Amino acid sequence: MGEAKLHFEDVLEGDEAPVVSHTLSRTDLVRYAGASGDYNPMHHDEIIAKAAGQPSVFGHGMFSMGLLATAVTDYVGIDNLTRYKVRFSSQTWPGEELLTHITVRAKRVEGDRHLVDLDCSLTNAGGEIKVVGEATADLSSKA
Amino acid sequence: MSEDDELKRIIGKPTSRAKVVIERGPVANFATAVCDANPVYRDESAARRAGLDGIPVPPTFPFSMETWGKFVEIQPDDAPEGNPMAEVLGPLMAKGGIILHGEQEFEYHRPVHVGDVLIGEGRIVDAYSKESKGKTMTFVVTETTWRDSVTGEPAVTTRFNVIHRI
Repeated sequence: MGEAKLHFEDVLEGDEAPVVSHTLSRTDLVRYAGASGDYNPMHHDEIIAKAAGQPSVFGHGMFSMGLLATAVTDYVGIDNLTRYKVRFSSQTWPGEELLTHITVRAKRVEGDRHLVDLDCSLTNAGGEIKVVGEATADLSSKA
Repeated sequence: MSEDDELKRIIGKPTSRAKVVIERGPVANFATAVCDANPVYRDESAARRAGLDGIPVPPTFPFSMETWGKFVEIQPDDAPEGNPMAEVLGPLMAKGGIILHGEQEFEYHRPVHVGDVLIGEGRIVDAYSKESKGKTMTFVVTETTWRDSVTGEPAVTTRFNVIHRI
């Protein structure tokens, strides 16, 4: 069983998780490259990125998915997810403020599982979607 | 053979068979990299206090666990040869265009913790192309199921959707 941080009974459809804000830095890109093993130079080598026609280095898609996951587990607790899926929509850039958006779409009981479906996305401050997807968590019940 | 037949031909083909060890250092480092300061990723006593059975891994760590724990001496000797995804994408890249990570999905069957040893088997589960806004988009989806090396129970399934766009 996972972390009993949020109980099924305490969640309502339409509830929103706290927004997490993070301003992307080049250090984030280097740290994620090292931690993930993704050394595509587009994410750390400004000279190569510009030569390829990019305005600068840009963030790993999986960094965006991971940052959004941090906000998801902050909300539903760790080791409770049963599913997490995203579509990568646009690139992230150093200096951009990234914001997480997590909303409860549905609640359902399946056997002894108390499932909460979440819509989630990561955007910049202007509302441009970076990644968008959904997650399902199996929460503890007070019943 | 048409390009569509060429794509359909790879569906079902195995892509990988790998054994990984989940270690504490890489997990803590990965948590830092996704801006998660929660002590449960770093300290077993904190994890136990949170009601967990061990140090957990961040939700997207399974995408990177081969980077860390795929030690040479524990690899199965029956890993598939060749990479069907590269067989399709290689010739497409030779024509130009770009490769994009289109979608990523994780299905969690049970929590993954530090100390686990998992065996992952990957295969191509979908491959198709379509026209969109004057571009040709070719999609290849690889599904990898990671099972506990001792019990054989599934732990996590990943679906990796790669797009070639030209």
